[in-house]
Amino acid sequence: MITKNRKITFILSLISAIIGIMFAIQLKSNMNPVPNESRSIAELRSSLQKELEKHKGLLADISKYNLLFYQYESSLNEGDSVSVMKEELARAKRMAGMVGLEGEGTVVRIQDAVIPEPPPLSDLEEHSYIPNAVIDEDLRWLSNILFANGAKAISINGHRIIATTAIRNVGEDIQIDTKTIRPPYEIKALGDPDVLISGLKLEGAEENLKLAGKQLIIEKHDKLLIPAYTDARVIRFMKPVKTKGES
Amino acid sequence: MWLPVLGLVLGIAVGLLLDWRVPQEYSSYLSIALLAGLDTIFGGIRSYLERTFNVRIFMSGFFFNILFAAGLAFLGAFLGIDLYLAAIVAFGVRLFNNLAVIRRIILSKWINQG
Repeated sequence: MITKNRKITFILSLISAIIGIMFAIQLKSNMNPVPNESRSIAELRSSLQKELEKHKGLLADISKYNLLFYQYESSLNEGDSVSVMKEELARAKRMAGMVGLEGEGTVVRIQDAVIPEPPPLSDLEEHSYIPNAVIDEDLRWLSNILFANGAKAISINGHRIIATTAIRNVGEDIQIDTKTIRPPYEIKALGDPDVLISGLKLEGAEENLKLAGKQLIIEKHDKLLIPAYTDARVIRFMKPVKTKGES
Repeated sequence: MWLPVLGLVLGIAVGLLLDWRVPQEYSSYLSIALLAGLDTIFGGIRSYLERTFNVRIFMSGFFFNILFAAGLAFLGAFLGIDLYLAAIVAFGVRLFNNLAVIRRIILSKWINQG
């Protein structure tokens, strides 16, 4: 009897648990019911129409912004601004002499002149002076003439001349930016060859160097290679001036 | 005797925790099923007190009543007749009947004891 009683109690508990679950669900479903729609069909229709139009507008906006986004992205990848910046950077590098260049131009070689009469042995001072007759002044003067006649890039014995290049005598040798160069000197200049050559001739470069016992050999080249400036340039002691309106 | 009450509380707690929602249009079916279940429970208690309790009758009554009440309501909605009203009235009357019988039995027991 007791076991039967327990069984009945158990079943009753189970049933009441099910009832409880149903009760709770019903309670929850009715606790916050969906507010009944009291507007008329026509009203609903018109508002639905409005919402549809709004939706359409939003979709159009989305596609517009997607297009814009795509444009931005593609212009970032291969687009104008970056390519312009790259071009500008390349141009600046070219101007600063950080890249090797090629083009037509002139090569000016300074060689010992073939002197028809033997140098007077008695004059030892002059004789000893002759082998190193070219001084920094001459190279500066020559490169200045070349620049003045439209040379775009100049190198002396493979050393690129840039805006801050110094050419000076150190002892008996000539240094270009602390690098010693030795004769024969060879100046390569990119530019209109005819203009460069006529400029040199006009300034009397050949005659001037002949006085020092040297001979100028001037050649035209259709394809001349000028190396880049190889030293690392350290930016010190200079800051760009900020001007208003630019940023 | 307290175990069924505990079961009821437990069931309510579980139902609240489960977070099930019945859609609005099926809410009436659930309410009628709930009514049928309550009726069966009280019928069970009554028969228990009258010592004529039969597990099989009780169980079959419980499930059959629930399903039939819901089915009747569904059929009513299908046919356009508010049959669920009939079920509500019927179960409500039976519920009150059962409650009255239970109350009388408990009262008489109490009086006999006292």
